[in-house]
Amino acid sequence: MQDNILIEMKGVQKWYGGYQALRDVDLIVRKGEKIVLCGPSGSGKSTLIRCINRLEAIQQGSIVVNGHRLDDSIKAIDVVRQDVGMVFQSFNLFPHMTVLQNCTLAPIRARRISKSEAEATARKYLERVHIGDQAEKYPAQLSGGQQQRVAIARALCMQPKVMLFDEPTSALDPEMVKEVLDTMIGLANDGMTMICVTHEMGFARQVADRVIFMAEGQIIEEGAPDAFFRNPQHARTRQFLGEILAHH
Amino acid sequence: MTPHFGLPEFGFLLRGLQWTVLLTLVAFVGGCTAGLAVALLRTCGHKGVEWITRIYIGIFQGTPLLLQLFVVYYGLALTGLKLDAFVAVAIGFTVNASAFLGEIWRGAIQAVPRGQTEAAMALGLHYSSRMRDIVLPQAIRISLPATIGYLVQLIKGTSLAAIVGFIELARAGQIVSNQTFQPLLVFGVVGAMYFILCWPLSWWGSRMEARLALASQR
Ligand SMILES: Nc1ncnc2c1ncn2[C@@H]1O[C@H](COP(=O)(O)OP(=O)(O)OP(=O)(O)O)[C@@H](O)[C@H]1O
Ligand SMILES: [Mg+2]
Repeated sequence: MQDNILIEMKGVQKWYGGYQALRDVDLIVRKGEKIVLCGPSGSGKSTLIRCINRLEAIQQGSIVVNGHRLDDSIKAIDVVRQDVGMVFQSFNLFPHMTVLQNCTLAPIRARRISKSEAEATARKYLERVHIGDQAEKYPAQLSGGQQQRVAIARALCMQPKVMLFDEPTSALDPEMVKEVLDTMIGLANDGMTMICVTHEMGFARQVADRVIFMAEGQIIEEGAPDAFFRNPQHARTRQFLGEILAHH
Repeated sequence: MTPHFGLPEFGFLLRGLQWTVLLTLVAFVGGCTAGLAVALLRTCGHKGVEWITRIYIGIFQGTPLLLQLFVVYYGLALTGLKLDAFVAVAIGFTVNASAFLGEIWRGAIQAVPRGQTEAAMALGLHYSSRMRDIVLPQAIRISLPATIGYLVQLIKGTSLAAIVGFIELARAGQIVSNQTFQPLLVFGVVGAMYFILCWPLSWWGSRMEARLALASQR
């Protein structure tokens, strides 16, 4: 069982200056698991996943990704980032590069594979997110939903072991949410390990193995989606679920 | 008999123009190279290095260029290093340009959205690739109007080089004017030369600016 663990966070504490954003977070993610992370604004969801690929440094505790302990060394950060893909709320595509260049830059620079091989891989993943025919366009020429799918393909081109999603549909017009969620569902069905910060509870019900609820930097409760939605244990969770269900 | 403004005088002005262009080119190319280093150090994330770079920029932006040229020309002479006037002013202008361009590009680098760097880091790209492939191409685009604007200022500013005896366009004009007693004509020609040099650049710069403004609206 031990070697099935892909991410292990133990006693993680994170401060922004004097403000504590993560309080004693423990989390274990096994290979193939799909986790949905939810919670009110400011509860530390983004902070938690950004610590996993060291976009944020932690002050206490430990994070191990695919057997590699994440410390401050460039080497460790490198190794971990090779295994972890990330998709952002605001896509963050490189505007001065074509879709194809967006997808091949990191494989060429960080994995040192040849341009032709990188392009072949990129086209494969672009096909998979149903955007193969837009490879020569620039991000600004695409819709939000298309851009986010490119961002997913770009991350996949590095062949990560786990994908982190930080509210990938929050910046999208409603009619484009589905195409991105469908892409993520496809990815989940292919067995990708995923941690998704999202308030799309339909998505959570459909693909999540576990739903985790955070508030004030702490993991308050977690469970399989059925139990989590039907019978939340904590008042704080019930209140939160009540609020977002009222919105939808 | 005083000479009239004729071909030899015009030729003298042209040589001044040549020196102005040459000095501008040397200072701009040198200033760009050193300015890039200044901008990168100024944004490197190391507090001490950023602080030192900030002082460097502050010194050259906060004192008159004239003074800086004096220091290079006469100051270095005092230490026994006698520099040719052109070399001295070229050094002075280059160092000064590195501070101004460094500050312009510092702003441009910081104007590239943070998410660009984060996405690049998440993809496992190292600092050199993040800068070369992601941040600088966007920063250069952002800074182009200001950079061109600075170049125009630099062209006109090279007239200060006359103070240490370097004969560039403005100084050449002064000499010819003193010889011919035709200041209006001579300085008219000199002004036209500066204008021909600067105006296309200014025009290009404002076109860039308009284009950028349009792009950011989309
Ligand atoms: N770079 C930062 N500097 C200082 N404080 C920060 C920083 N980033 C986040 N915080 C603070 O840490 C807390 C957690 O932020 P985080 O972005 O992780 O929340 P979140 O759960 O993702 O919220 P949201 O749903 O709004 O995205 C917030 O109070 C936020 O203000
Ligand atoms: Mg967030």
